[in-house]
Amino acid sequence: MLPIDVAAYRSPWRRLHPAVKGTFCGGLLACALLLPAWPGAVLTAAVALVAALGPAGVPPGALARAAWVPLGFIATGSVTLLVSVGGSDTLVAWDPDGWRRAVEIGARASAALLCQLLFAFSTPLAELLPRLTRIGLPSALVEIVALIYRMLFVALDTSRRVATVQAGRLGYASPRAWVRSAGALGATLFIRSYDRARRLQHGLECRGYTGELRVLVEEIPLRPAAVLAAGAAPLAVAATTISYGVLL
Amino acid sequence: MHIAEGFLPPAHAAAWTVAAAPFVIHGVGSLTRAVRANPEAKLLLGASGAFCFVLSALKIPSVTGSCSHPTGVGLGAVLFRPPVMAALGTITLLFQALLLAHGGLTTLGANVFSMAVVGPWVAYTVYRLVRLATASLPETTSLGLAVFCGTALASIGTYSVTSLQLALAFPDAQSGVLGAFAKFGAVFSLTQIPLAIIEGLITVVIVRLLITASRADLLRLGVLRRTPDPEPTDEKAV
Repeated sequence: MLPIDVAAYRSPWRRLHPAVKGTFCGGLLACALLLPAWPGAVLTAAVALVAALGPAGVPPGALARAAWVPLGFIATGSVTLLVSVGGSDTLVAWDPDGWRRAVEIGARASAALLCQLLFAFSTPLAELLPRLTRIGLPSALVEIVALIYRMLFVALDTSRRVATVQAGRLGYASPRAWVRSAGALGATLFIRSYDRARRLQHGLECRGYTGELRVLVEEIPLRPAAVLAAGAAPLAVAATTISYGVLL
Repeated sequence: MHIAEGFLPPAHAAAWTVAAAPFVIHGVGSLTRAVRANPEAKLLLGASGAFCFVLSALKIPSVTGSCSHPTGVGLGAVLFRPPVMAALGTITLLFQALLLAHGGLTTLGANVFSMAVVGPWVAYTVYRLVRLATASLPETTSLGLAVFCGTALASIGTYSVTSLQLALAFPDAQSGVLGAFAKFGAVFSLTQIPLAIIEGLITVVIVRLLITASRADLLRLGVLRRTPDPEPTDEKAV
């Protein structure tokens, strides 16, 4: 399984209805994007981080490893804003106002990223996907999405096993061998994925498959009080940020 | 190259979502029609989506010495066609955002537009043009050239659109959108152009192996049009 999904299944927030977590994380995400970066983004990031490491029980190491790649993108993108091109004197020049924009966008995006990670680390996709029909998505599409979700773990496992065998035969010892091995891995994956899907089809047909794949979804009661409580934190962040702006 | 959560201003994120929506709706329509016409297609579409996700998670060598990942849109477009890829790509990007933290939910529309709309259409258009231009060449050579050009240019097209999306959101103080496009393009081209070439080479290896190991599937998907040139073997003698 993927580290985020593993953490989501172990999270104490797993038993909360996705709508409650969606209200909390979505509200904080809106705060990160719409409020002034100072202190809005900083407050949002702090609330999301405290919630993740505290009640949501997200392992700090897993959170850091998941955040590393998007933070790299945010840093690269923000650094680009420090310079300006096409000036009259030099082709590339230091933008005196660039650092302000870079810090603002970096803070905003980092806070938003923490909100996204908090939701992902506390909500298993298997529990979220069947509920997508309730927001109006076609059931055929939701079934395909759920099928892809279930099949991708088998495909990932196949990919890891093949890569391990290839590495044991020095398949990744040089860039040339790497390209050959990655190509062979992709082809093997395609063949095995299709073969597995066909075998699954035959197995289902033998059991009276009519074209509908039904799964049991654990019913989690949606309590209005929980939704209101989840919405209180983003409202508090918004109120604090706005008051700070008014007082200044 | 996924735009991270919260990196785009809300108005831009909404605008790119609106721009991607017709393609995704059309793609979802293609998927649901295929499933209604042939219920067996559901499991194969599931397998195709899982394949696209894992393909985009493959590690490939990068010029900086580290590892990176292919977009996977080129091969996906050649195998499954751009409308289906718009839907499968959107699902893949949603899973990448929620399972790998690559890309975001508010930036999903922008990422879908570059990776699930522009990328597949560039790949498929270039693939078809090269196939037409090289029709006189042996089938495997023509297919290899078309797949390489389609995949590499799709990867470059994807990263160019992402650079444009960033440039529109954050125009340069002196030279505006054009200068910002050059700035973002220059920064990301250091890794993206070599990656595009490597992805093209890997995709050629994949397709060449599939020609020998899974010809029936390639014929069914319409990738192979006629029997490839027979390999020189001693089977006739046997």
